[in-house]
Amino acid sequence: MPKQSQVIVVGAGPAGSSAAVGALRAGATVTIVDRKTNVGIPVQCGEAIGKTGPSVAEIEIPEIAIQAPVRGFRVYSPGMHTVDFAETDPSGFIVDRRVFDKELFARATETGADSLLGARVLDLTRSNGTVDGVVVRHDGKKKTLKADIVIGADGVNSQVARLTGLRKTYKPVDIDSCFAYEMSNCDLEVDDLMQFLLGSEVSPRGYIWIFPKQNGRANVGIGIGGTVETKTAKEYLDYFLTHHEVAKRQLSNARVIETRVGALPVNGPNKKNVVDGALLVGDAAGHVHPITGGGMGYAMVCGSIAGRVAAECVANNQVDSPALEKYETEWRKLYGTEFDQSLKLRELLLKTDDDTLDRLAKIVTGESIVKLTAGKKVKIFMKAMSTGDPKLISLMNELRKLRMV
Amino acid sequence: MAPTASTSKKKPGKKLANVDGELCGVCQACATVCPVNAIEVTESFVMVLPEKCTGCGVCVSVCPVGAITLIER
Repeated sequence: MPKQSQVIVVGAGPAGSSAAVGALRAGATVTIVDRKTNVGIPVQCGEAIGKTGPSVAEIEIPEIAIQAPVRGFRVYSPGMHTVDFAETDPSGFIVDRRVFDKELFARATETGADSLLGARVLDLTRSNGTVDGVVVRHDGKKKTLKADIVIGADGVNSQVARLTGLRKTYKPVDIDSCFAYEMSNCDLEVDDLMQFLLGSEVSPRGYIWIFPKQNGRANVGIGIGGTVETKTAKEYLDYFLTHHEVAKRQLSNARVIETRVGALPVNGPNKKNVVDGALLVGDAAGHVHPITGGGMGYAMVCGSIAGRVAAECVANNQVDSPALEKYETEWRKLYGTEFDQSLKLRELLLKTDDDTLDRLAKIVTGESIVKLTAGKKVKIFMKAMSTGDPKLISLMNELRKLRMV
Repeated sequence: MAPTASTSKKKPGKKLANVDGELCGVCQACATVCPVNAIEVTESFVMVLPEKCTGCGVCVSVCPVGAITLIER
């Protein structure tokens, strides 16, 4: 059977399009397949992206996708203490994911990728145990597409991850269940900061977000733990919109112009993301920040690394797992510590009650939050100890065990 | 696939997950946690495969819009 191309990328989101571009730049031929016929739709995300990811991946953020520049964030603790972080210049953007995803995908095809939309992956093909293609359903027919390497960029419910055995089924505790509205007529108090609200009452095991978009619009959403059974994500968000003082101040005139749902992996990267002839990137690889839920930047960087390594391996005629391991080494070097530490911090935060979070919010700065979520050590230990507050002291001791203070 | 003696043996209960297509937004959370791969996702809807579904209900709690209920077979 003739080869479809050297690399087949499954999934046309930011991870897949970046992987395709990475592979094309390194000289490989690429085909992108996607289950959907409309890339970028439906939107399933908070739509925030930092400047760093695209810059490291050397893939420009599509200008027409930019909705609002953001300089930082405002976090509301459960008891409504606020902690702000704002840089002088914009450090990221809220984008329109429909436009963003489609533009990245279009660019991948303009760089030379072939595309096959409406093609659902049913199986992988193997030769001597090495993955060498995918079986898809397209136009009502089964088709086999052969390649040297298959890159699974097919999201949280990745078929490539299942079929390679790189990931078993997620436990509900390891995913967040998300629901969001795009709203018009918002009266945001800050139009260049992302707002986050924490607390077991508003958003158990997760947070509520309010992200600014242009023309008085906003992306307002919630991510809650997959094990929360008291109410659905939608019910928590609707309750927030009608009862919470932050919503009353900023969203009382707001109207829903779109609804979105989504699911996020929040238990960190898969232990392993490569097998003979295949590798995983993006949500499929678990490349999602366990605390912030952010994934687009990682998807673009890890995607472009995956694509380049895949192309190099194809050129060297060596596509086995030890050769593809270079991809793991490279992404781990960039984000390994950040993911590992954040996962531990997430576990600790999930055990921390609302009252302790309020006490922490009183002593912590925005800069410290940035560092902590990046897996870096912060200097808040002495300040916390000097309060004499037993709850804070015990939290600091836990943080010290993680080497984070 | 017609249920055979061996596949029907795996069914612990008489329940079956049912997705309300009007509420479902195809986020795939249910498919992501289904331990027996009984939920198939297409472009615009999700499908519970009755011959695989064991009625365990793990998909119910992760649905952000409450679109899944367990029904009697």
